[in-house]
Amino acid sequence: MIDMLRNLALLFIGAALVNNILLTRFIGLCPFFGVSSAMETSVGMAGAVVFVMTLASSATWVFWNVLLEPLGVGDFLYIPAFILVIAALVQFVEMYLRKAMPGLYRAMGIYLPLITTNCAVLAAATEAVKPGFFKMNIAYGFGFGEAVVYTLGVAVGFGFALISFAALRERLDVAPVPKIMRGAPMAFVTAGLLSLGYVGLSGMFGI
Amino acid sequence: MELDLVLKAVVALSAIGIVASAALAAASRKFYVEVDPRVEAVLASLPGANCGACGNPSCFGAAEAIVEEKIPITACTAGGQAVADAVAAVLGVEACAVAANVSLRHCGGGRAASRTYDYSGLQSCASVARLAGGDLTCPYGCFGYGDCMKACPFDAIAMDHRGLPVVDLDKCTGCEACVAECPRGRIGLLAMVPSEGAVAVRCNSHDKPKGRKAYCSMCCIACKKCEKACPADAIHVENLNAVVDYDKCTGCGQCVAVCPQECIDLTGRDAMVSSALADGRGPKVDGFVPRETTRLDFAEEEPSE
Repeated sequence: MIDMLRNLALLFIGAALVNNILLTRFIGLCPFFGVSSAMETSVGMAGAVVFVMTLASSATWVFWNVLLEPLGVGDFLYIPAFILVIAALVQFVEMYLRKAMPGLYRAMGIYLPLITTNCAVLAAATEAVKPGFFKMNIAYGFGFGEAVVYTLGVAVGFGFALISFAALRERLDVAPVPKIMRGAPMAFVTAGLLSLGYVGLSGMFGI
Repeated sequence: MELDLVLKAVVALSAIGIVASAALAAASRKFYVEVDPRVEAVLASLPGANCGACGNPSCFGAAEAIVEEKIPITACTAGGQAVADAVAAVLGVEACAVAANVSLRHCGGGRAASRTYDYSGLQSCASVARLAGGDLTCPYGCFGYGDCMKACPFDAIAMDHRGLPVVDLDKCTGCEACVAECPRGRIGLLAMVPSEGAVAVRCNSHDKPKGRKAYCSMCCIACKKCEKACPADAIHVENLNAVVDYDKCTGCGQCVAVCPQECIDLTGRDAMVSSALADGRGPKVDGFVPRETTRLDFAEEEPSE
C-alpha cells in the first residue's frame, strides 16, 4: 500500500516537474505563449487544462482498453479516436457546466472549447495509454488509477509552468528591456531560461 | 486480414461516434439552458469591448442585466447614443438621450512642473505615488507615467512631449477606466465632463497660489480674471481653483483669452495635440513648449526644435 502510494507520488512529481510537458518536452507551446501575457487568463487556462486533461485521459483510457486495444486497431487509430472522444467529452462537460455550475462555466467559458484538441491534452491522453510514447521511460502499462494520477501530474505541471511564465512576463512588461527585444523575443528568451531550469531536474526519481 | 483491420477500424470509430453523438444529443436536451433571445439580440448591438464601464464584467453580462431591466438601456457609456438607440430598438422601448462624457485632465504641468526627487523605478504612476507621495512636488498634478494610457481600452489616450496624457476626444467613450486607474483620479485629476464642454481648466491644485507657482509654471493662480471675463457666469474660482459650470458654458473662449497662465484651454486642443503629434507637428501647437527634457521616454519621437 505504502509502496503504491509512493509510486503514485513519484509518478505525479515526475509528470509535473521532471518531465514537464511544456518546458522539457515542448508540447502545447501555443497556449504557453498565447495566453501567458496576463496572469488572469493564464490562471483560467491552467484551471481548464487541469479539468479537461484529467477527464479526457480517463475517458480515452477507458475507450482504449475497452474498444481499441481488444480490436487491435489502437496503434494507428488512436489519434482520430482520441480527438473524437475528447471533443465530444468537452462539449458534454461544457453543456453540463452551463446548466449545473454557471459560475464555473463563466470562469472557464472561453478556455474550454479552446483546449478541446490542444496537443498537450492529446499527448497526455496518448501517454496515459502508451506510457513512454513521448520519451518518458516507463516500461509498463498504466492502470486506470496510475493513468489518472499521471495526467493530473501533467496538467498540474502545465498549469504551474504557464502561471509562473505569466508572472515572469508581467514583470518583463515593466522591466527596462532593450527596444529590439521587447515582447515576443524576450518571451522566447525567458521561456528558454525557464526551460533550462526544468531540464536540470531530469534524471531525478529514475522515471 | 487487411480488410479485416479496415472493418475493425470503421466499426471502432463508428461506435465511438455513435456513443458520443447519442450522449451529446441526450445532454443537449437534459442540460438545455434557456437563453432569452433578447439577450443575444442586445448583445449583438453592444460594442463587445468588455470594458466594464457599465459595472458588468462583460458585454454579455450587461446584455443580461439590460434585458432583466437591472440597468437602464443607456448603461453602455462606451457605446453612446448609437448603441442606446440600437438596444432600444431591440427591446421595443422608447430611446432616450445619453449624456456622453469624456475624460478630462485637470493638469498642465508635466515636465514643466518640478519634481521633489529623481525617480528611476518602475515607470508607473501607481508605483511612484506610493513612494513618499510621488516625485511630483504638486500634490494634485499628473505624474505623467502613463497608467491611464495603459488602462484605456479604446486606445484614446497618448502621452505627448510634455509628459502629459492627451485624450483623443473622438475615441474617448467615457468609460472611466482611466479615472479608476489614475492614483489621483479620486481627487479630480482626471474627471468626466460633458463631451460638448468647450473649455478645460488645466490645474487641479488647491494649495496657496503663491506656493503653487513655485513648483509649477502652468498652474491656476486663482486670479479670477476668467470669472470676470465670462459673459455667461459659467466659470468661478472655488477653493482656489477655477471651475467650469458646463451647463452654463457657451464655449465663447473669453476665459481662454484672458488667462495669464495659459491654464485654461479649449478642450478640443487635446485632440489637436494628439493628431499633431502623429504628423510630427507637435511643437507648433500654441502654448505647448517643452520646457526641459528629462530621461523619461514618453513619446516615441522627441519633438524637433
